[in-house]
Amino acid sequence: MSVRRSTTGCGAVLAVALLATGCASGIQPRDDSQVDYSLDVHLSGTLDTMGFGLGDDVATVRDADAERALGHDVHVQMAQGALDTQAFLSAVAAGDPPDLVYASRDDIGSLATQGALLPLDRCLAGSGTDTRQFRPTALAQVTADGHVYGVPEFNQLQLAMASTRLLDRDGLTMADVNGSDWRAMARANEAMTATTGARLDVMGVDAKLPDSFWLWTLANGARPISEDGRTAHLDDPRVVEAVRFAVSLTEPEGGFDRVKAVRDAADLFGEDNPFAAGELGAEPMDNWYVNVLEDVSPDVRLQFDAFRDRRGEPIAFAGGSAWAIPVNAADPQLACRYAVTMTSVQAWEDAARARLAEGTKSGKQFTGLLTANTVADARIERMALDQAAEQGRGGDDQWVQAVRAIYTANEHAVSAPANPAAAEFAKAWQDGVNRVLNGQASPEAAMRDAQRVAQRALDEGWAEQDR
Amino acid sequence: MTTTAGRSTTTGRTGTAVRPGARRAQNRDTRNALLFISPWIVGFLVFTLWPVLQSAWLSMTDYDVLHAARWVGWDNYVELVQDPKVAMSMGNTLLFTVLEVPAHVAVSLALALLLDRAGRASGFFRTVFFLPKMTPAVAVGALFLLVFNGQDGLVNRALALVGIDGPAWTTDPAWVKPGLVVMSLWTVGASVVIFLAALRAVPRDLLESATLDGAGPWARTRSITLPLISPSIFFVTVVSTIAAFQTFTESYTAFFGASSSAYGNDAALFYSIYLFQQGFEYLHMGFASAMAWVLFLVVLVVTLVQVRVSRRLVHYEGGE
Amino acid sequence: MSADTLTGGTSSPDTSLPAGAGPVPPRQVRTGATRRPRTGGRRPWARALTVVALTLCAVVFLYPFVWLVSASFKPRSQVFDNALVPRTFTLDNYVAIWQSAPMGLWIANTLLVTVLATAAVTITSAMVAWGFAYYRFPGRNALFGLVLATMMLPGAVTMIPTFMIWNALGQSGTLTPLWAGNLFASAFYVFLLRQFFLGLPRDTFEAAKIDGANDLRLFWSVALPLCRPALVVTALFEAQASWTDLMKPLIYLRDSTTFTIPRGLKAMVDQFGFGGEFHWELIVTASVITTVPMIVLFFVGQRQFVDGIATTGTKG
Repeated sequence: MSVRRSTTGCGAVLAVALLATGCASGIQPRDDSQVDYSLDVHLSGTLDTMGFGLGDDVATVRDADAERALGHDVHVQMAQGALDTQAFLSAVAAGDPPDLVYASRDDIGSLATQGALLPLDRCLAGSGTDTRQFRPTALAQVTADGHVYGVPEFNQLQLAMASTRLLDRDGLTMADVNGSDWRAMARANEAMTATTGARLDVMGVDAKLPDSFWLWTLANGARPISEDGRTAHLDDPRVVEAVRFAVSLTEPEGGFDRVKAVRDAADLFGEDNPFAAGELGAEPMDNWYVNVLEDVSPDVRLQFDAFRDRRGEPIAFAGGSAWAIPVNAADPQLACRYAVTMTSVQAWEDAARARLAEGTKSGKQFTGLLTANTVADARIERMALDQAAEQGRGGDDQWVQAVRAIYTANEHAVSAPANPAAAEFAKAWQDGVNRVLNGQASPEAAMRDAQRVAQRALDEGWAEQDR
Repeated sequence: MTTTAGRSTTTGRTGTAVRPGARRAQNRDTRNALLFISPWIVGFLVFTLWPVLQSAWLSMTDYDVLHAARWVGWDNYVELVQDPKVAMSMGNTLLFTVLEVPAHVAVSLALALLLDRAGRASGFFRTVFFLPKMTPAVAVGALFLLVFNGQDGLVNRALALVGIDGPAWTTDPAWVKPGLVVMSLWTVGASVVIFLAALRAVPRDLLESATLDGAGPWARTRSITLPLISPSIFFVTVVSTIAAFQTFTESYTAFFGASSSAYGNDAALFYSIYLFQQGFEYLHMGFASAMAWVLFLVVLVVTLVQVRVSRRLVHYEGGE
Repeated sequence: MSADTLTGGTSSPDTSLPAGAGPVPPRQVRTGATRRPRTGGRRPWARALTVVALTLCAVVFLYPFVWLVSASFKPRSQVFDNALVPRTFTLDNYVAIWQSAPMGLWIANTLLVTVLATAAVTITSAMVAWGFAYYRFPGRNALFGLVLATMMLPGAVTMIPTFMIWNALGQSGTLTPLWAGNLFASAFYVFLLRQFFLGLPRDTFEAAKIDGANDLRLFWSVALPLCRPALVVTALFEAQASWTDLMKPLIYLRDSTTFTIPRGLKAMVDQFGFGGEFHWELIVTASVITTVPMIVLFFVGQRQFVDGIATTGTKG
């Protein structure tokens, strides 16, 4: 090549490198001290949201309320579908983020500790939103450094669910399978499980690992991570014991291989779901499943109770979603009003009424809505029980039982604290539990490794933030 | 005048003497060539070189998108070497590649050879074999878990028909990769098409004279067809190796993508998946960039090795 | 033989990877002489065996898709019941899809992007491949090596910087980034087409030059028509890739009215995942709707390139 070509070549590379240092410079936070968040200000513009979907009536009813609150000069643009980190990060990196994001509280808490979100103090104060009405555990998940970064929406937790037929057949009761007595649970599991050769026909108790890790740990009186989110406790002997016990439930069933195969092939949302088909005795399962069961197999006899810890007290691990505003959003004013309206008691009541109407039409029991808002929760629980009375359902009606179980668990639910390494922490304990399930390590060894990885991730994450 | 017997591609150094007119013609040729190639050059500078340089720089920083990038020098690479998951995921990827590429080439070649003889019906079959490539990844991931289900999946039911107790493809660490290999074989359609095109170009007269000389179908294939299409075999091998090293979608949708499940399997953690997790789930963009560069170097080395080996095995058309 | 090929006998086996290796080395592209006789002439049982073997393979390849189609006609509660023929046959899913998602818009968007992407990449890759195949110039092999090296670049490396470029051009949120990158050719197709060009006989071009064609004419009116099969292959592959691509829409598209089908599908899956109510019956239906146009396109297209090979070329 000619000399001239090579110098231009070098020059180009140098220029490019210089430009490169200019990019990747992080985001420019917005200063919202001048923004008026009060609810009677006339608004206009476009609200850009990411991570939400108008998938059901609970969403559409509240969205209608929120859009009304925004006024007809505001156009709401939604990138529907769960928040995709790539899309979100690309947008943030380029300085063009959405105004409002919707994601799980774990993600929001993580982003908050990483400085990606706008503190909502002014938004909440300006719009007259009382943060005390949110469930303390839900609010804690999206609070960092004493500031609230997210508006909680929904609470999702586990219930103990059981098939009456299978319980009765072996002379068992709900107390045997709701977690209050582990030995009884192991016995119940053996009694109800049925295999033919290598084939698993009936699962006595499905411990639901690895997803239910937190639940089992809490039930054993331990926490995987400290309340301030800085110290991992994955190798705590009680945590290890919980993992060992929950895994042991798969042994009479033919090992985790069989259990997973059966779980994958199960028609969870169909009329041949495991309970209906008599293939499952009991399990701790998410509360929304109650609605599915009532919908597709309403005549199957079931029992519901809050899951219990080993002392017999109700326990649940709660998660949920939240609304948040990126720190460099263009229209925090619009975002704030939308978010606080979506989660207002009024909007929740409207949504509940829509659900109630549905239930009354089809003769089904409305099983409640867990909103992460204590005021709304109380009112909606009342509405559900009133409907039960109207439909002539007694206290022993299984769906009324479900409502009570749901709201009891709601009162006793525990959530994970906000921390900047949420994804890595979760991955660490998941890897630990999965290794035990896949037969690659013993509970002690697996959780010991998990502890090491988790603590390191937490230390590095917090060091970044404290910097 | 340009079709000489020259062996070298550098200017003017061949058997022919260089005349002044020839140099002007050469310059004009160069200019025209570069004109034709210009779209790629522009694209390369803007969409390849620049991002590559930026990512090389990023790989030496601590960057989480939300804050300014912080220079850390070689730290990411040091951490990479010490991270057991990097080694494990690279091992998984290598094993997968070693299993998948020969199977891929063999299966697609076999199918192409079969198709070559099918005559009129081949149009239908060709579409059938290309079909899986057109199915959305979401559906394929869900199908994997169903078809390879340890208890009721189609594969194990078929095996049971011949008396074999099928393994737990979706959970047993020893069988996860073979299962993924088999699933990826489902999408060999593109290679089949390439081989088919190459087979169609094999001159009939050669095959016919071989038949007349008494060569059976296998002998003909081995001695005539395969050598003549060896450039295509080489092409497919190289391309599918590169693809295998970057394998992501199949395993991700089957094992890591379902947001409602915490289940994972070490045996299915491929390098690209771990890279994605580091970059987009943990926001360690600098580290992820370093991982990307290491992958690039590995792929480069492997490809160069393949090129070396190919010199002896591949029959170049114009080269004799 | 070497006198026939484009590069004047130097497919340069002494340089690295680029030369010589390739998917389609059409040594002689002739009419008539290479047309194969109808198979089955000599050994009917061999042919029958072939068809049997092919059918077996076809079953394996087809089964999952048949399952998808069958599932799309089942009501929600029966989607996973493993029955190949639906116990209850219903068209509700197809109706529901059109109602619950703007499928028409999504199909239109995807169609637009696919057509533009395919056209762009085919033409520009052919141009670039021609530049490498027909001309000899200093550094040609090194430059081609660079082209190939870019094929080995993991996508993750360039993803975010590329996004920032499009964003700086004000194009993020539009469909442009989904296809405009193809205006700059693609290494894979350049490789493929170059090999094809290399196999074309030089005499054709000599003859055209004598007739007074300039370089552009040579490319557009002589070379391109001759390599139609390879162009069709390129177009088919790119159409399929563009139609099913998820990564770019995921990063660039924000408003659901701009979504392409794969992006829309994902939104449907995720959205329902929130309440845990996966509407799998809608997802499989959407998958079927997505795949059918591609099947048709491929079936039509592949006949093109097969026939094309037999009819192109000049007397060698």
